[in-house]
Amino acid sequence: MKAVPLRKLVLGIGGLAAFILLWKLVTDAKLVSPVFFPGPERTYVALVKGLSGGPLLSQTFETVKRMLLGWLLASFVGILFGALVGVSKRARAFIAPTLELLRPLPASAMIPVAIAFLGFSDNMVLVVIAFGALWPMLLATVHGFAAMEPRLYEVSEVLGLNRAQVIWKLALPSAMPMILASLRLGLTISLILAVVGEMLASREGLGQSILAASRSFRSADLFAGIVILGAIGLFGSRLLSVAERHLLRWQASSR
Amino acid sequence: MSAARVLKNGGRAAALPVALIVLAQVAATVTQLESDSLASPADIAMAFVSVMGDGTLLKATADTLKAAAAGCLLGVGAGSLLGIVLGLFRIADDALDLTIELLRPVPVVALIPVVMMLLGFGAEMEIVIIALGMLWPSVVLARAAVKEVEPRLMEVSNVLQLGFAARVWKIVLPAILPQLFMSLKLAAGYALVVAVTVEITANPLGLGYGIMMAQQALRPAEMFAYLIWIGAVGWLISVLLNAAQRTFFPAFVNGEGR
Amino acid sequence: MVVTQLSTRPRHGGGHSAPRSGEPRIRIRDVTLAYGPLQIIGGISLDIASGETISVIGPSGCGKTTLLRMLAGLARPTSGGVELDGSVLGGPNRSVAIVFQDYGKALLPWRTAAGNVSLALEARGCPAKERPAIVRDLLEKIGLGQHAAKYPREMSGGMQQRLQIARCLAQEPKVLLMDEPFGALDAMTRQALQDEVLGLVATTGATMVFVTHDLEEAIYLGDRIVCLQPNPGRVGRIVDVSLARPRDQLLTREDPEFLRLRRELYDLIKDDHQ
Repeated sequence: MKAVPLRKLVLGIGGLAAFILLWKLVTDAKLVSPVFFPGPERTYVALVKGLSGGPLLSQTFETVKRMLLGWLLASFVGILFGALVGVSKRARAFIAPTLELLRPLPASAMIPVAIAFLGFSDNMVLVVIAFGALWPMLLATVHGFAAMEPRLYEVSEVLGLNRAQVIWKLALPSAMPMILASLRLGLTISLILAVVGEMLASREGLGQSILAASRSFRSADLFAGIVILGAIGLFGSRLLSVAERHLLRWQASSR
Repeated sequence: MSAARVLKNGGRAAALPVALIVLAQVAATVTQLESDSLASPADIAMAFVSVMGDGTLLKATADTLKAAAAGCLLGVGAGSLLGIVLGLFRIADDALDLTIELLRPVPVVALIPVVMMLLGFGAEMEIVIIALGMLWPSVVLARAAVKEVEPRLMEVSNVLQLGFAARVWKIVLPAILPQLFMSLKLAAGYALVVAVTVEITANPLGLGYGIMMAQQALRPAEMFAYLIWIGAVGWLISVLLNAAQRTFFPAFVNGEGR
Repeated sequence: MVVTQLSTRPRHGGGHSAPRSGEPRIRIRDVTLAYGPLQIIGGISLDIASGETISVIGPSGCGKTTLLRMLAGLARPTSGGVELDGSVLGGPNRSVAIVFQDYGKALLPWRTAAGNVSLALEARGCPAKERPAIVRDLLEKIGLGQHAAKYPREMSGGMQQRLQIARCLAQEPKVLLMDEPFGALDAMTRQALQDEVLGLVATTGATMVFVTHDLEEAIYLGDRIVCLQPNPGRVGRIVDVSLARPRDQLLTREDPEFLRLRRELYDLIKDDHQ
């Protein structure tokens, strides 16, 4: 990781401090009723209390578990199936248009269908997460394979690489930038759908927790939950950034 | 491409969906399907005709699209504005970058309970959530676009001693217009997703609520009719926006998509 | 050790005229190529002896690259055929290596220099234990010994093209095809690589077919120069080059014979353009 310039660090922290101060001023002046909108201190207290002994820790664990399981399932199926479709021109001609047709379908619209089959269960939530996160990975893999430099196919022919070698040594690495970007998008989608699923199906987790908090006007608990959800998202995307930098170190360093 | 070729590609593209539909119908007919979760294609078609006929589907579509459009414009507008400012002033960017990076990963659905508490149910709450969901992506895209404006152009505006307003209006905005449209295009698809999600999760309104109610009432044919319709609306929006992009910014489309 | 199979054949002396006795390495037998009604190549026949270096020149659109791709097995002739050591070439063959002009596209950007060379060894099932030594050897030979761990994007154009040549050598080819390999390089790099390629061909005894649009390069490298004519592509003339080997960038290029050849080829090409 590059060192952050001091100026940027100072300004950044200053900006964050100003943001929190503004938040405090708005709540202290009671511009919005404190019943609905807690100040930073109350949120912090709720956060600490919830994490130490309160239910927040186990709820966080549940949500993260759900998100990761669905994401892994989607990654596995998406990349595998995407590779199978992407590697054959014929399969692409038959299957890719249908995939493109389904892509704009909001994943959340599948929730009622999933409920119809699986009821309000953990499995239902998992299926919805995996289904929603599947599309970007599937299509990125298909497109990544299709977009491989044609010259490299010729190189593989001249060198006499077999099909497995072409997939493993040429197509997959060349699709890797697109696949990694889709993994990141997929993780975002997984978190969103985990929260939605928990809200709808009342499964244990942060989604259900913040919905319950809002229904009983415990706004500080609600905000504490949101802060943790943000932290999960931030942590996940940072982790993937590190992986990306490592796996794509051969690319011209962008940004 | 020759006509025969278009026909061949189209035939290949249609083969899979057609086969699936036929297969589903055959399976449903053979098994004399009676189910709370499945429906035959013919029943789905009939349910579609009925919800379309009594106007509920169109009303729901209008509600969803209105909320999505309003939220999208609001979010992309506010986000792009902030993004342009951050792109132009490095000090503002440095000061807000950390805060934005911390706020950005908050999943937009987590805001549903907050906004619900503040505004209650209804179109307003949905629009606010959609706008919040579009905000950060628009900020990031607009900021990047401004930073990528050809430095020569900025030098030209320095040499010409353009004022701030003239610089934004005559140099920056025209230069980033294609990216702003791109941002709007991405946001439009995403706005529909958020709208349906909000409706399914909480808001008694629009297509998301319609599909949820069909499921709750154990009318699977109607549920699938809604599902297919939602997919069709999403698909149509993306086709229209892609066509618009090709028409207005032909040079910008190259290298994107297939 | 990579080049065992190749190094046995001694380099023949001067560039004496066409097919020597015995089986040619490559026999091009009346090949044509047409896309629908469009005739790209209209009947080319040529025998290339083992160890010979052939330069192919001609105006753009004369099918020189297409001819080379047919020799590599990447394009199929519409009629006629290409034989390698007496058997018909049905498709790409590991004993025929090709160096593409666009080295930027032909190298794997996600593999280091060593990894790119290693790919050819992996393709022919060379055991993993033996690969590093062979790779090191080849990179050393082509002057990239210090750059084994670099990615292509970290290398200059000349270095990338060297790398592509090293990968081709790892195939242990009998035939080395080159498609305007130095066209995108600066003059100094180009001359250095010309000499290195000549040296490699001399030590390995490989047969080389070198497509170029640079007349001097064609003369400097070739034993014979095949001039193609366009619409459709066919052999216009074959010119023998009787310049002594090893060749030298200064002496060879000042040789009266070199200058005579250059004039002759220039007139030939100029006629085609009219």
